[in-house]
Amino acid sequence: MRPLFLFFSAWLLISCSAKEPLYNTQTYVFGTLVDISIYGETDERAQAVSNAIIQEYQHLHQRLHAWKPSELSAVNQAFTQGEAITVKADIAQMLSDVTRLSTQSNGTFNPAIGQLIKLWGFQNDTFTPHQVDAKAIDSLISKNPRMTDLVIKGNQIHSVNSAVQLDLGGYAKGYALDLGLAYLKQQHIQHALINIGGNIIALGQHGNQAWRVGIQHPRQPNAIATVALASGWAIGTSGDYQRYFYLDGKRYCHIIDPKTGYPVQGMQSVTVLIPPKKQAGVLSDVASKPIFIAPANERLAQAKAMDVPHFLIITTDTDIQVSEAMQQKLTWLDHKAEKIAKVVRFE
Amino acid sequence: MNKLKSQALIGDIFIIVTSAIAVVFLFKTLWSNVPASQLLIRQADQIIGTYDLEQTRELHIHGPLGESHISIEQGKVRFKQSPCNHQYCVHQGWLNRVGQVAICLPNQISLQLIGEKKPYDSLNY
Repeated sequence: MRPLFLFFSAWLLISCSAKEPLYNTQTYVFGTLVDISIYGETDERAQAVSNAIIQEYQHLHQRLHAWKPSELSAVNQAFTQGEAITVKADIAQMLSDVTRLSTQSNGTFNPAIGQLIKLWGFQNDTFTPHQVDAKAIDSLISKNPRMTDLVIKGNQIHSVNSAVQLDLGGYAKGYALDLGLAYLKQQHIQHALINIGGNIIALGQHGNQAWRVGIQHPRQPNAIATVALASGWAIGTSGDYQRYFYLDGKRYCHIIDPKTGYPVQGMQSVTVLIPPKKQAGVLSDVASKPIFIAPANERLAQAKAMDVPHFLIITTDTDIQVSEAMQQKLTWLDHKAEKIAKVVRFE
Repeated sequence: MNKLKSQALIGDIFIIVTSAIAVVFLFKTLWSNVPASQLLIRQADQIIGTYDLEQTRELHIHGPLGESHISIEQGKVRFKQSPCNHQYCVHQGWLNRVGQVAICLPNQISLQLIGEKKPYDSLNY
């Protein structure tokens, strides 16, 4: 009996005290929080790999900055002057990708509206609430800047519309997730989780379980639900609560409808889940936007156009739509939300 | 007499084994529901510290914009004052459950509530 007792005591002691091989680091890039977890490696190796990824991100952020001197702002300057510009191959590839995705969403995802974003003051680290000149908006809308105005020949780019100003704020974080995942694989890391400003991609798992991710409630400091993120899956949310200002009691969020020129109203958040595929990270960033921006009767069509069967749409505290596929993946934490949620069939 | 003794031993072992299984089972199922016990504060890529939540304390953390005031009050914590422009962090209010996070992006300070068992590894927002 004594050996048995000792065995149990020893087992309980070991299972409580063993430190799990989980490395976690946080830093600030892309104007947001980057959080990297690596499981199953020594701290030294995990730290070296994380640092390399973070450096890569800082470099990418500098190159794609929309309102400070960068490779991207040089492109914008060339567009204003009606000139062609030669860019590096990866940027030409990005802009082709963005154009394809923009076309796929019927222009609803439109990173060519940099001027509108600037007009609303969101191209600024410390933007302030201000009334926007309606005439200036109308004038920009009438010029109709679109991604399809770009002419990309090899690495040479020009725009047939001088109103086109690129802002990759809705794409770069997703691109960085894919970049980070590729690097982790190249370094033979088996298990990791990268979170860039809430957009997350998973590799492998956390010990003997899948990585688990909480989905933030758009109006409360809690997670509304959790989801298991299997290897290669990515998740992204567009919300009206990350960047916004109040003016005369009205909330103006940073997501602007390119058709009206005004911030989207009456929408709290759209979350999409992307299965493992090429550019899962990019899609987790991009695909929620057309659904967020589209009017109510076009949201499902946008989800279809973007090929996203897993979505969660929260318009108000009393109106939640969840696709059947998403519902199967969710573990609700907020039971009030769970009751309200309407399950949407989606073929 | 001998027979009685060995029977008692088998019964003892049975009770010990079943209670050990019950302890492990209860530990695993109930532990996740305990309120947060600790607060992890980070500034930029540095861990400032881990703090017990069961106390009343005011912390002043320095970031690129200046000092953020964080108050811990018997099991909960919030950003009380922040030099940032929009005060999103202050508006987030009190946090008290494991997994909750409040971030001040401009001042690069994050509060994260931790406990024995995390309900999730990372937060999508």
